[in-house]
Amino acid sequence: MRVFYRKRVKLKKNNRDQHNDAQHLKPLYSDLEQNLEMLHMLYDDCSDVVFRSFLIAGKTKAQLIYIKGMANIEEMDSNVLTPLMNNAEYSAINAKSLIEQKLSVAEVTKLESFNACIEQLSIGNPILLLENEQQGYALGLAKWEKRSIEEPTGELVVRGPREGFTETVEVNTSLLRRKIRSPQLKMKSLKLGRYTQTTIILAYIEDLANETLLEEMTQRLSRIDIDGILESGYIEELIQDHSYSPFPQVLITERPDTAVSSLLEGRVVLIIDGTPFALIAPTTFFALFQSAEDHYHNFMISTATRWLRYLFCLISLLLPSLYVAIITYHQEMVPTTLLLTMIDSREVVPFPALIEALLMEITFEGLREAGLRLPKQVGAAVSIVGALVIGQAAVDAGLVSDHMVMVVAITGIASFTVPRYNLAIPIRMLRFPIMLLAGTFGLVGIMTGLLAIMTHLSTLRSFGVPYLTPIAPMKGKDMKDTLIRAPLWKLNTRPHFTGDYNEYRQAADQKPDFDKGGEE
Amino acid sequence: MKRSIAICFICMAIMLLTGCWDRRETNDLAIITGVALDKTEEGLIELTVEIHSPGGSGNRSEMGGDSGGGKNKTILQTGKGVSLADAMEDLDEKLSRQMLWSHAEAIVISKAFAETGIRDELDFFVRHPEPRLRSYIFISDGKAKEIIALRPSLERSSSEVLIKLAESEVLMKVTLFDLMEMLKGESGTSVLPMVAKSPREQGKAVLETVSYINRSAVLKQGKMIGSINDQLTRGVLWFRNEIKESIVTVKPEEADGYISMDILKGRTVLIPEMDGHRLKMTVKIEMIDDVIQNQTDWNLKELEKLQMLEAALAQKIEQRLTDTLEIVQKELKADIVGFADEFRRKYPEKWKKEKADWEERFATVEVTFDIEAEVLRTGRGSAPQ
Repeated sequence: MRVFYRKRVKLKKNNRDQHNDAQHLKPLYSDLEQNLEMLHMLYDDCSDVVFRSFLIAGKTKAQLIYIKGMANIEEMDSNVLTPLMNNAEYSAINAKSLIEQKLSVAEVTKLESFNACIEQLSIGNPILLLENEQQGYALGLAKWEKRSIEEPTGELVVRGPREGFTETVEVNTSLLRRKIRSPQLKMKSLKLGRYTQTTIILAYIEDLANETLLEEMTQRLSRIDIDGILESGYIEELIQDHSYSPFPQVLITERPDTAVSSLLEGRVVLIIDGTPFALIAPTTFFALFQSAEDHYHNFMISTATRWLRYLFCLISLLLPSLYVAIITYHQEMVPTTLLLTMIDSREVVPFPALIEALLMEITFEGLREAGLRLPKQVGAAVSIVGALVIGQAAVDAGLVSDHMVMVVAITGIASFTVPRYNLAIPIRMLRFPIMLLAGTFGLVGIMTGLLAIMTHLSTLRSFGVPYLTPIAPMKGKDMKDTLIRAPLWKLNTRPHFTGDYNEYRQAADQKPDFDKGGEE
Repeated sequence: MKRSIAICFICMAIMLLTGCWDRRETNDLAIITGVALDKTEEGLIELTVEIHSPGGSGNRSEMGGDSGGGKNKTILQTGKGVSLADAMEDLDEKLSRQMLWSHAEAIVISKAFAETGIRDELDFFVRHPEPRLRSYIFISDGKAKEIIALRPSLERSSSEVLIKLAESEVLMKVTLFDLMEMLKGESGTSVLPMVAKSPREQGKAVLETVSYINRSAVLKQGKMIGSINDQLTRGVLWFRNEIKESIVTVKPEEADGYISMDILKGRTVLIPEMDGHRLKMTVKIEMIDDVIQNQTDWNLKELEKLQMLEAALAQKIEQRLTDTLEIVQKELKADIVGFADEFRRKYPEKWKKEKADWEERFATVEVTFDIEAEVLRTGRGSAPQ
């Protein structure tokens, strides 16, 4: 095993060296022909790259290079080609004055190497190369098709902003900047992925985010060396603390308001180009139970909803197991009248309760998965069949009992009350081993399973923060936004993750009161 | 890596090795809802169990329309043996399913059985892990089997009738646990509710009637020695501070009719006193009642009338308690009113001497009453006089 590992390391090194030695790191030549030759060679067989040569004022040779579909052609015509070609007044052309006087383009970047050229081209910016100039110019005329800002479908709220992140990193950063106007909102940019060169923005608020957290995040990101990053999941899997855990150790959100509230708590947000999902670290188990809405509604209602979620999370994890355990091992626990009805309904079922439960739960999960992937046109078919399979038809067929149908239905609904899909999934998954334990050991088995899960959860850490904070380790102060959602005027301190932190987030004693009326 | 795989396999094997040894599918269970204990003429114990007969989901549609007897889905099965456990084994042979005792919440013991002593056989119910200590115990006037064989039209089974009767707390309510405590108590006496069949209406099948509690059985050292009627039972409940429901109808002097009152709250305190060889007991009762019917032309808003009513009420209760005491103390000589425990509590040292011949000493206890009756709600509206 160790030998294999060493080999792999070597391989990695070789790859990287090759990669770095590529020719495109070289600086630009002063000769236009030589530059063009180089670019042609790099973009050999790239039919989407357009080379347009022209003469400035009929004299100086120039070349405009852009990628089809990514540059704004009208703007190029009117603001670049027209003023440059038509003007015959220029005799001795100095590149600097030309750019300053004639080009009506807001963003112009100087390019000194082929590498920079490639980068600008792939963003969509056209580049302008001139004769006898050792530098080129990238014109900020990129324009490509992008999705407009829509309501995030994964995290719906009744009350709250309706905007969601999109696939474009610039749009996403602008959404953050619009909410946090302070220049202390920092956005470090880096590129990951050998071929995709995906932009990743590391956003944090200076003085709020812990220094060591930032360092750790930067270090973990810098370790990543893969060919491509297509979604935030790639990053998540490569930076999380514990790989062998079904529980999410990084929070995922589509909502700018959730991202901003995390930033204000001193967390770090990663925005990844090409996906509407931003990553938030560190996160805790209980943070995954919070919905953006919790802070928009009345605190009493939010507290009640939060408890409802905790309850239904437990139901989603345990209800089928409890049913199986009690009906096969602990019949004395059921009230007599209920037991008699249960027995009546189970009388014709040929399977043990465990098999019955597994059958139904697996069917339900199958239906759920099918429902996700289904083309819209056949969606109705599945819901009809689903209603039959998990319903009266199954009971009439003598496969399952009435109560099992109830249990499966409630469990199914319960798992969707967890506001984060990536937390709901492991809970749904862990239901099955616990069901097996319940079917073999009864309630003792369920307790064993729960203990194992608790042990696992308490060993987890997210960027050094214990996963079960603030319950274990107990932090009384942070409890105010965990088990309950305290009123806003009570939420004076930020949650404490690790090390020093900027403790107070608002002025104390802001409870509205008659004595504090506006008239003084 | 190899090790973790090995551990995985071992864990899986552990799960399989147990073989789910405690597993009982509901389809293999006979749920016992009620138990009846009788003695046969040969002296054997006859154990009759009422078993819920599962209808299966196919029967559900019939259940709605069919009324009366169709609703009762219970069957009876009887086993005989020299002891309860022996009878149970006999019963087991006759049943295709495993018995589940956890839901047997009504235990009916026949009078004949109770007279020979119940202590030894109750041991089974206490020792076995399944039967509940909270199940209710009854003594039947006739055969116990006949009580649980009834097919009531209101409830699902006769044991359910019995449970509801006990829970209504009109007369005695004794659970297995209470009975154990009574048997262990200082006086060694116990009192249990007695059930009887109500006479069947004309045109109804033999079994289509209900049982009801009308008396209380008195047991000494686990053996039944007699019974008391419902009025006396209420008196005993007063002594035991267990009174929950009692309607008292009095006719105050000078009044032209009866006034009925329902008890809202009643509290009894027994204050024992040992004066040399004499035993004294003060029964202190505080009660609050409200008027539920007034036949007289009395306006109860008048303080004078109200006080007269209260006095009459106190007198009536005292009369009832004196009657009770007469029977309990002199006739049955069974301390079912809980005096023994009070004496022990107050005079733990002296009690040791008294305990030996308590049966005789109990009859000599001088009882004085201190009854405070209050009529709280006289009611405003009244039928025109």
